[in-house]
Amino acid sequence: MTAPRSKAGASGFDQLFSGRVEEGLRVKTGIVELDEMLRGGFMPGDAVMLAGSAGTGKTTLALQYLVNGVKLGEPGIYVTFEELPDQIYRDAKNFGWDLRKLEEEDKFRVVCTSPNLLMESGDDSLLDDVLRDIQPRRLVIDSLSHLEMFVKRDDMRMEAYRVVRYLKTRGVSSVLLWESPQISGGSFSVTDVGLSFLVDCIVALKPVEIESSMRKALVILKMRGSDHDKRLREFEITPTGIKIESAFTNYEGIISGSPRKIASEKFMELFRGASEKRK
Amino acid sequence: MSGSEILSTLLGSEVRGDLLVLFHRNPGLIDTVDGVARRIGRTTVAVISEVRELLVLGVLRQKRIGASEVVFLDRAKDRELLESVANHLKTVRISGEN
Repeated sequence: MTAPRSKAGASGFDQLFSGRVEEGLRVKTGIVELDEMLRGGFMPGDAVMLAGSAGTGKTTLALQYLVNGVKLGEPGIYVTFEELPDQIYRDAKNFGWDLRKLEEEDKFRVVCTSPNLLMESGDDSLLDDVLRDIQPRRLVIDSLSHLEMFVKRDDMRMEAYRVVRYLKTRGVSSVLLWESPQISGGSFSVTDVGLSFLVDCIVALKPVEIESSMRKALVILKMRGSDHDKRLREFEITPTGIKIESAFTNYEGIISGSPRKIASEKFMELFRGASEKRK
Repeated sequence: MSGSEILSTLLGSEVRGDLLVLFHRNPGLIDTVDGVARRIGRTTVAVISEVRELLVLGVLRQKRIGASEVVFLDRAKDRELLESVANHLKTVRISGEN
C-alpha cells in the first residue's frame, strides 16, 4: 500500500527533506510567479526585506502583497514615512486597488508617521491601537532606510532589530522596504549597516540595461529555512500590478551591473549569421 | 452639541479647515503637533490652539508615545460628527426651501 500523496505529489516526508512546506502554511504574495519562486510564499511571521533603488517598484509590489492578502482574508497595514496616504490611495487606484474602501471595511490601514515616533518606546507603541483595531497578518514599512535619519549608524541595527521583534512577537509577517543603491557594480551588499542578517528573506529589485533599453530584474537573495528560485527574473509594472516574466537565461553579469550575452548564445548568433549569409 | 455648533467649530478658522482637510485626506496620519504644522505649511504656534479645539470636539485624539505627544484622527467620532453635520444641513435646506 502506498502512502497518500499531497496535492503537490510529494509526501510530508519528501516535503520535509526538499525544504518544502505545505502550501497552506505559506504567506502568499498573490503574484503567482513570485509565489512559485518562493515555493508557495513567504514563511509565516518572517521579516522580509524588499530592497531596490528608487523607481524599481518596491512600493507597488508591497501594496500588491497587502491587497492580495486582504483578498485571502488577511488584513494588512502599510506604514509610510515618505508619502502622505492620499498619494498612496491615488497611486493604488491606478492599479485598480481601492484602499479607502478596504479601510472602511476595517481590512486595511495606511499609517503615516515619522520614523522617530515609531522608535519611541514607552508603555504604548505607535502601532498598538491600529494592530488592535484590525488584527493584521501583514505589515509593510516604507521604508526602513528612513530610520537612518534619526538613528546613529552604530545603533541602526539595534533599532531595526527592535522593530522586527515587535512585529514577530505579534505574529505579523512584515515586508521592510530598503532603498538600496548599492546592489550594483561588483558588490552584492544589500545594506551597509548589517541589516541583511536581521531579516529572514531578501528580495532585490534592480534596473538593468540590456541592448540599450532599461528592464527590471527581481531576485531572491536569501530565504531562511526554505528552498527558493535562485534565478534572476525579469518583471514589469503593468496596469494591474507587478507581472513576473521569464528568467534572464541568455545573460550573465546582470547583478554586477555589466550584463553580457553568455558565450554559447554569442556563438549561436554567429552561427545563425553565418548560415544566413550562406543562403 | 447640535449640528450647527459642530459645523461652526469645525470651520471656525482657516487653520482648522486646513487641519481637517489634512486628516480627512490622510486618515492614517499620526504625528506630533510640530509635524502636523509642518505638513500644512504652518508654524506650531499657529496650529496648537486649533488642534486643541479639534481635540475638545473629539475629531482628533491625543496619545503619549515615549517622550512625544501625538495626535491622530478618531475615525469613529469623525463619522459620527459628519453625520450630525449632514443631518443639520438637510434641515437647513428644507427650511430654506419652505
